Amino acid sequence: MLFGAKNSSNPRLQLLKDVVLFKDLSMRELAMVDSLMHERRYLADEIIFDEGEEGQGLFVVLSGRVKIARFASPLEMLIELGPGAFFGEVALLDQSVRSAQARALEDVQIAVLFRAEFYSLLETHSAIASRISFQLARVLAARLRQAVANTDRHHEAA
Amino acid sequence: MNRALVSGPIVWLGIIITTCLLLVLFQTALWLVIPVLLAVVAYYLLSPLVNMAMARGLTRARSVLIVTILLTLFLIMIGLILAPKISSMIHNGPGKIKEYSETAVGLFNNAQQTLTKYFPFLHHAPPPAQSVGVVGVNLSTATPESDLGHEVSDLTDKYSGDIALELLHWIPSLLLIPYLTYFFLLDGPRFKRFLVQAIPNAFFEKTLYLFYRVDDQLRRYFQGLLALTALDAMCLGVGLWLLGIDNPFLLAAIAAVMAWLPYLGSICGCLLIVLIAAHDFPGPHWLPYEVVGLFVAVRLLDDFVFLPLTVGRSMEMHPLVTVLMILLGGAVAGISGLLLVMPVLGVVMVIGQIVGELAMDARIIARYRHACELRRRRARADLTHER
Repeated sequence: MLFGAKNSSNPRLQLLKDVVLFKDLSMRELAMVDSLMHERRYLADEIIFDEGEEGQGLFVVLSGRVKIARFASPLEMLIELGPGAFFGEVALLDQSVRSAQARALEDVQIAVLFRAEFYSLLETHSAIASRISFQLARVLAARLRQAVANTDRHHEAA
Repeated sequence: MNRALVSGPIVWLGIIITTCLLLVLFQTALWLVIPVLLAVVAYYLLSPLVNMAMARGLTRARSVLIVTILLTLFLIMIGLILAPKISSMIHNGPGKIKEYSETAVGLFNNAQQTLTKYFPFLHHAPPPAQSVGVVGVNLSTATPESDLGHEVSDLTDKYSGDIALELLHWIPSLLLIPYLTYFFLLDGPRFKRFLVQAIPNAFFEKTLYLFYRVDDQLRRYFQGLLALTALDAMCLGVGLWLLGIDNPFLLAAIAAVMAWLPYLGSICGCLLIVLIAAHDFPGPHWLPYEVVGLFVAVRLLDDFVFLPLTVGRSMEMHPLVTVLMILLGGAVAGISGLLLVMPVLGVVMVIGQIVGELAMDARIIARYRHACELRRRRARADLTHER
């Protein structure tokens, strides 16, 4: 096919099925989401996005490893992500700037879901979009709990 | 257009030159450019219907098929309604055009006499030297008794026979519209993703964001334009019906569509209906002036009420730029240039502004060069080592 492979023969679907955000979706629904995603390939050491840049979408790691770091002095590495992990998810919700830089640690393959595409999914397939939103809310709630626990530990140690 | 996309004079010069070159290029394939343009408009207008059908659980393919069938039935219905009128136009075309030309001359003479009656000093005023009218006739020496009528008559004899047949040549091209619209609706999203693959990683997120904004703006513009056209046609139609003109809503729809060409389109639409009014109600009559009054009233209603409610100000360009570009389009590519200059300028302007903005972003350029260097290094990694 000129404009890309048909969904039935798309190997990305199995990879996406393992992503927490999409775990409630059936294969047919996942194929719908997959049809909205853009695939990108980055070389090791290539910057995916910069800290302070306006965020536009969610990035899902399909293969390879990605480093998320902040421009502190020295450069503060926050986390290393592998296949099945996702980052930049807050950009699905608003136009806030990226809070850290994402850089490929090795050659990576990434699927990107843009905010505009996600909004169109909300209009056309609201059931699918609401399931993704629910999972996103759970992930963000878990991170908030983790942050509060870290702060408490920090205060106790102090 | 928007806050983020502000361009300098060099970008604008590039935009104008590119627009002119494209207009000249499009002139050679007008039979294809016009249906593609109309299909793009139809794509933006019909996308919400496809989305609605998909929201009710239909697949994209089925939704697009149903919407395209509805569009085709609608066009067939319009064709059946207009067929007798077009057939009569082809049959009586040359004669009718001659009649309307004579009416135009009569209207001109009538207006001249009326002006002279109310402003007697005009009678003694010397005619402006060598002023030339829209039909290429020297108006400065024209009087009711002069050969103005003969000159117009000669011109219409020369060209009117071809006009109706020229319209027939467009029918196969226009049949392309539903076909193109079907594939735009079906494969549009996949085609967009196909194009996006060509964007380098460094520019990817920003370009795609601007691309979606433009896409959204175009969608709202075309949907707003359709609503504006419907409102214009309704108001003009009611006005013309009250004035007692035949086929008021058809004429109003034609004038409303002509108004898609900014400024000049409204004037041409008004002149067309004034001419028809003068032809249908010959003799000293105030009707043509009442039609002009109606057009002015609808224009004001348009600018102050309908336009802000529909098209909004998102796609607005400076009026001077708009008029100059229309004239420039006409100068470089004739009538096709007049018709195509605004949509072509709109697209070229957006692309030019995006390229201009990306080219000015030092960080993005640096990231792009870094990625290129990584690729180069990878490509020559083992060239200097022995295997």
